[in-house]
Amino acid sequence: MNEEPFDRAELLRYFKDESDELLQQIDADLLRLEPLAATSRTDPETINSLFRALHTIKGSAGMLELGDVSTFAHKLENACDLVRNGRLPISSVLIEILFEGRDLLMALIRSGIEGTPSQNSAGFAERLETIVLRHSRSEGEEASQVASERATAVAGKARPRTIRVDIARLDVLLDLVGELVITKNRIAQITTMLTRGEATDPAKLVAELNTAAALLARTSTDLQEAVMHARMVRIAGVFERFPRVVRDLAKSRGKEIELTIEGAETDLDKTIVDEIGEPLMHLVRNCVDHGIESPKIRRESGKDPVGKIELRAAHEGNSVVVQIRDDGGGVDLARVKERGLALGLISADAEQTERELLELLFVPGFSTARSVSEISGRGVGMDVVRRAIGRLSGTLEVASRPGQGTTFTIRLPLTLAILGALLVRIAGELYAIPIDAVSESLRLDASEIARSESGESIVHRDRFLPVIRGAEFFEVGGRSESESVLIVVLRAANREVGLVVDEFVGDQEIVVKPLSELVGPVAGIAGGTILGDGSIALILDPSALISEVHRGPGSIVVSGAMHQR
Amino acid sequence: MTTTADRLQIVVFALQGNEFGIDIAQVREIDRLVPITRVPRVSAHVEGIINLRGQLVPIVDLRTRLGMPHAAPTKLARIIVAEIGTRSIGMIVDEVREVVRIPADQISKSEGVLEGLANEFIGALGKVDERLIILLDVEKVLGSEAPAVLTDKGNV
Repeated sequence: MNEEPFDRAELLRYFKDESDELLQQIDADLLRLEPLAATSRTDPETINSLFRALHTIKGSAGMLELGDVSTFAHKLENACDLVRNGRLPISSVLIEILFEGRDLLMALIRSGIEGTPSQNSAGFAERLETIVLRHSRSEGEEASQVASERATAVAGKARPRTIRVDIARLDVLLDLVGELVITKNRIAQITTMLTRGEATDPAKLVAELNTAAALLARTSTDLQEAVMHARMVRIAGVFERFPRVVRDLAKSRGKEIELTIEGAETDLDKTIVDEIGEPLMHLVRNCVDHGIESPKIRRESGKDPVGKIELRAAHEGNSVVVQIRDDGGGVDLARVKERGLALGLISADAEQTERELLELLFVPGFSTARSVSEISGRGVGMDVVRRAIGRLSGTLEVASRPGQGTTFTIRLPLTLAILGALLVRIAGELYAIPIDAVSESLRLDASEIARSESGESIVHRDRFLPVIRGAEFFEVGGRSESESVLIVVLRAANREVGLVVDEFVGDQEIVVKPLSELVGPVAGIAGGTILGDGSIALILDPSALISEVHRGPGSIVVSGAMHQR
Repeated sequence: MTTTADRLQIVVFALQGNEFGIDIAQVREIDRLVPITRVPRVSAHVEGIINLRGQLVPIVDLRTRLGMPHAAPTKLARIIVAEIGTRSIGMIVDEVREVVRIPADQISKSEGVLEGLANEFIGALGKVDERLIILLDVEKVLGSEAPAVLTDKGNV
């Protein structure tokens, strides 16, 4: 008996990656075709691309003996073929059913890969047939009912744990490994000479060893960078699904929205790209739902009835900035204030700055939406979004201008794998603080720390700075009673906290390792790292720490990943 | 626990004078005690994490987990690194004694044998000659069924 030449599981994985990309592309193509429905124009290039994508899926599915998938893809392909030959005009009914077909195809592919029973597609096929047969130019109104379901389907993404790497990047890695081998040989040679007693000139040996060490240092730095690059993917993979989501949501909300995307080619660590989708989705939905006003209101306030949402990504120094901007009504600060007062989050006597009011949006359970919306309501609030971003060592800020719109700004590190850190000692243990979050370090007289009911603070640069003691925060030891204290000022999302530590140890590059799932997540700890001598330092999560302090102790929630529905 | 084979290979270790065992298939390695880095805000029986050749592996104090009094480890103390699915976790035991083969018919389900012991973690009892070995259900002891227990905070 001959064995199967390929690992089926491997092929299925590959098919999944491939079809994910193609389905994205189909979405993009359909979106491009949609505006043509009202006209008599056509776009052969896009139709061809659509046809090819379906054809490829059909072929691959056939090879993998996923009969349902290939038959279904074939039907869609046929319809596109008719369009391609000019025998079927592009109508909104057609586009709508093709969108629906694309989603059914996705479901079929998924159940085919997972081996679960597939959805019945017969009803759909019949409707498709009717439309094709009729060759009709008539416009139907059956469009919007499927819109919101579909948005959910698009949002429910899969996360393949594979990555496609440009072969050139792999070649760089290979070259560097070559360098490593050369250095290793050199060191082996020196050791041999030493063992055999052939070392007549110790000074020369030392010099050679030094050269080897320097080479090793350089190569490992390059290697680190190359591996980091190999892990980077374009954020486009995440951005691509938004045109479709915004279109569907806008339709179901009776709004008209134009989405522009910029900087889709921005590179980011694969892990971040995988995790950022959900928080981004939430923010975009928020813009559609609460940001952009209805066309009627927009017209009344003299705005273009078509709302605009901008999604852009760009490199900024050592981080990536992702912005979601809408030109809607902005955050209603008066209502935020009202609600803040009602919830007892702010006091009526004090005057709050705009920033302080906006920060209230990130308090758990705070929502200003008049009604719990099907889309962005249901208790998944801004606090969850901020926390999800915080877990990626990123920050989330919001800015708003009344009548002109809201801007969410996410700042993310380029990579999660390696980061610069300040090492400190707290109650005998080493902790690493991401250097991006350190705004300065201070040595103060112990008497400068003032106590009040709400906790400890110092006056720093003419402002009150809340202070927490590392040992107490982490419940790992008593208070030290020395005369001077060391404080690291942590900064995230425009808020600062002073962290009292026992010792500054120094700064270095660290490799981030996750804490085992069997332990974590631990509030305030982002992971661990292994130092040069094999010992472990825990990595602080500054944004979690700051949120906890600003929210008051005990309120931080230790939760798993962000779940929506 | 795999009882399909005629004989079960068991790693036998001691805790508080009793003999315990776990299926050898679940044991990745046995190490001497190494310095353990404490992790704040995890439950009392999580001792901390160690560096196991570049991987961060959580360590559980089995005495605490099983409701026994804490005792300072002696020179004989070992860390048994067990595997649950793809994840590793280490447990501190007083002493590792040997690996024994127990015939399947010498293994019995039994309840409430040991007073004061968290009985929910006991998978079965095995008999070797006249020795009684308490077979632990590693998954129950170490977590995958109850990760929430491990992340209990505030009682360090």
